[in-house]
Amino acid sequence: TVCDFIFRLKGILEFACQLDNPNGVQSQSTISKSFQDLRSKVTSKNIVFTVCNSPVLIWPNTGFQSSVESLTEASACGDILQWIESDDGGSKKSSKKKDKKKSGPTVVNMKLLFEVTEPAGNTAPSLIRVSTQQHCVKMPLPLDCALSVTTDERLETVCTGLVEALNKQLADMEEVVLQYRKGSSFLVPQPFHFQLPEPAGLITVVYPAGVPDSQLQAVREDLHRKFELPCDRPYLRRANAFHFPDAAYKDGYLRNPHIHLNPPNIEDAKLYLVQGVYSYHHYMQDHVDDNGWGCAYRSLQTICSWFQQQGYVETAVPTHTQIQQALVDVGDKEPRFVGSRQWIGSIEVQAVLNQLLGVTSKIMFVSQGSELATKGRELANHFQTEGTPVMIGGGVLAHTILGVVWSENTGQIRFLILDPHYTGGEDLQTITDKGWCGWKGPEFWDQNAYYNLCLPQRPKTI
Amino acid sequence: MGRSYFVDEAVGEYLSGLQAAPGSCVTGLLAGQSSPQRDFVVLAVQTPHRESEGQLKAPKGVSPLDDIDVEWVTEHAKQVSRMLPGGLCVLGLFLVTPPELSKDAQNGLKRLIFAVEKYIIKGRLWELSEEDVTDRVTLHICSKTKKLLCKTFDVKDPKSSAKPADWKYQTGISSSWPMLTCSVEVDLQIPVTGSSSDNTDKCMKDGLRRWAKQIEAAYCLINGRQALDDSELISGQKKNPKTTNRQTLPARIFVSDEQSELGERSSALVQVCSGSMRVRGVVHCRAYIHNNKPKARHAAQAIKRDIINTVCSRVEMFLEDLCINEGSQKGLCSGQQALPRRVFAPMPISGLSVCDYMFPDESTADVAERLKEMLDCETPEEDIDTSLENNQLFSIISGFEITDSQDDDSSKHVSEIQAENHKIQKPPKYYAGVALAAAIALLATATSLLYFS
Repeated sequence: TVCDFIFRLKGILEFACQLDNPNGVQSQSTISKSFQDLRSKVTSKNIVFTVCNSPVLIWPNTGFQSSVESLTEASACGDILQWIESDDGGSKKSSKKKDKKKSGPTVVNMKLLFEVTEPAGNTAPSLIRVSTQQHCVKMPLPLDCALSVTTDERLETVCTGLVEALNKQLADMEEVVLQYRKGSSFLVPQPFHFQLPEPAGLITVVYPAGVPDSQLQAVREDLHRKFELPCDRPYLRRANAFHFPDAAYKDGYLRNPHIHLNPPNIEDAKLYLVQGVYSYHHYMQDHVDDNGWGCAYRSLQTICSWFQQQGYVETAVPTHTQIQQALVDVGDKEPRFVGSRQWIGSIEVQAVLNQLLGVTSKIMFVSQGSELATKGRELANHFQTEGTPVMIGGGVLAHTILGVVWSENTGQIRFLILDPHYTGGEDLQTITDKGWCGWKGPEFWDQNAYYNLCLPQRPKTI
Repeated sequence: MGRSYFVDEAVGEYLSGLQAAPGSCVTGLLAGQSSPQRDFVVLAVQTPHRESEGQLKAPKGVSPLDDIDVEWVTEHAKQVSRMLPGGLCVLGLFLVTPPELSKDAQNGLKRLIFAVEKYIIKGRLWELSEEDVTDRVTLHICSKTKKLLCKTFDVKDPKSSAKPADWKYQTGISSSWPMLTCSVEVDLQIPVTGSSSDNTDKCMKDGLRRWAKQIEAAYCLINGRQALDDSELISGQKKNPKTTNRQTLPARIFVSDEQSELGERSSALVQVCSGSMRVRGVVHCRAYIHNNKPKARHAAQAIKRDIINTVCSRVEMFLEDLCINEGSQKGLCSGQQALPRRVFAPMPISGLSVCDYMFPDESTADVAERLKEMLDCETPEEDIDTSLENNQLFSIISGFEITDSQDDDSSKHVSEIQAENHKIQKPPKYYAGVALAAAIALLATATSLLYFS
């Protein structure tokens, strides 16, 4: 079933406990007791979900009460949309500018709150003082639960599900906190959501803050086994975390502009596309004026962004200078290469990917541009098995190939090209309309020039 | 264009009825509510006589104006502030002088109003927002001609000069002001680092301040509706000036544990503490909002400030009392003690209520006495409502149950403190009583030290 909605509940709960002796045997049960108290808190009548950008408040633990009369326990969760104001100040319905291509689930954001009024008792406050030497531990727990549901699911069921998810998350957090605690040093447990292949769907894993992915290999191996995931590609590194459709990317780069395009309709042909997420890098970005010489650098940046976002590397996308320095470091170029405006080709791209990211690449040589039309099988295989963006250099230009439409029978082929020569701003409309990301035919290539293609290979790791 | 003060007729009657000894001055407070467009005065109270002062006349050569006991006036203002529910505050001062002193009255008033403001805001846990009115009114009355001169000073600016303001009498100013109410559950765990009582006070202040920020940032429903924006508090209602029905609007407050100062932490905050303090119980809160098109968020702000003030006030009062009785050398010890609980009484004439705080060993008679002293009004004891907050009934046994402390030593201390409680004197609010109480307390401390060592 396709899920229409993702209900996401976020909130901070403060974990607090007093330890007489952080290294003593009692401390574990004290910590567990504090977590138990927090679990009681989220199942109490005082918790409230507020739906962001709306007047809706829901008390999930009181047999479903809401602040809006028309939302009752029988309401379908889709009914909630009419109460939500979209961010551009428009009323009710989601923005009409929404691209029809992207029919992903609608995210309903909710916040966790606690009512402090309507108390059970009425006894005036007392002051209780304790004077034993203690370690006072305080830690904000960043709760973040997500549920994928269909539009006819009852709102009440969603809320009950979210309360259960909160409970489970607290239990997971307790486990992580206890496992990574050293005396009175506690690491904050952080939840990450991952969209796994069905039937697992959207899951949440709690990782300890500050412990790098490289040290969490064993945890991932367990989870790969549990969810029957392939053991040769990452699904559960922090970089693989699910990107919620309504969240903007803070760095400002466009992600996967190609999904807004319709693939060409070729008889008997199949579509082979890049897998996962990449960022569109092109001329003039980052205040670097590389117009006329930087196209291969930009293609390389696009490829690096793919490896970063699929979780293979934690290093940032390299700058032109860093790329040039890497080539000097491997002995491929003289030191004066750094700071120059010299072109690079596929071989240099292969070298940098190896030097900076530890990624190996295959090189494909084509003696004439016209021959590219015959490389359908190789490219199709590449996108099927590796699924990485391909850098192609030849003539005086470099481009990135993101996919092919290819017919095994007729040999007809089209190439999905991401063009690094674009000098404008991150305007999706212009980029797709004007073909800076677009489908091209075999005539796109210089029929006489020779081309080298760099096909990056996925490291076999989780 | 100066401010306009709409003043209840009853206040006017009170002011006319003031008796000043010939040649001397009378000071007093004005209380009410300010809104951006206009201000409302619902209460006037003269400064109570100070018992230790035997003289009514200034010594020769000193002008009665200079002889005004600024400290006493500010202390009175602070005490009265504690008695005002949310939405109401000390708005200004009045000064009655004989005709020959009228010229210098303005300077006297300016000195006083700045001193009062400075003293009142000390220890307050919330900041004034940009929308809060910072003008305070000074009213000068000539004892002979009864002429009124009304001016305002902006207490945000020490260099500000007096601006003219209007003083208009009306009847029943506050008779249909809606009253917001709620009962709030408080449960604060406050770690204590260090061992002196100064440390205790500072830790308590820090802990309360964090909690106050949570309350200020909290989501608020008033009468079932969100109280965020500029929407009117009471919309769609025909305004009938003749109705004297006061609407009661329940408020509901929802907090999150979000603390921006903790930010994106990757590890827990761990402090080595010499102990901890916990404030736990339910407080009853009230706020009034004027009915001249009030905005929902101003009403929310008023009730939130009352929540913060009431917890802060009673803790302050308790610690002041503790300091006097235990002395600073004893520092922190274990135990559970009741904080003074809030009671309400009708305000003179205006129909609004005022509040006071009752220590466990006090009675409504004590409250009535304080109301007489501080607010210059007689309140029959049966009018004092003590039902809104329940007495903290705990014996040694139930005290044990309420306390979550796993420390076995605390049970010993609980019983010791209980015994001491009964010996503690009435909280001395007047400077006159301080010396006496301190002497008795020192005696008690000395005795207990002897007993327990």
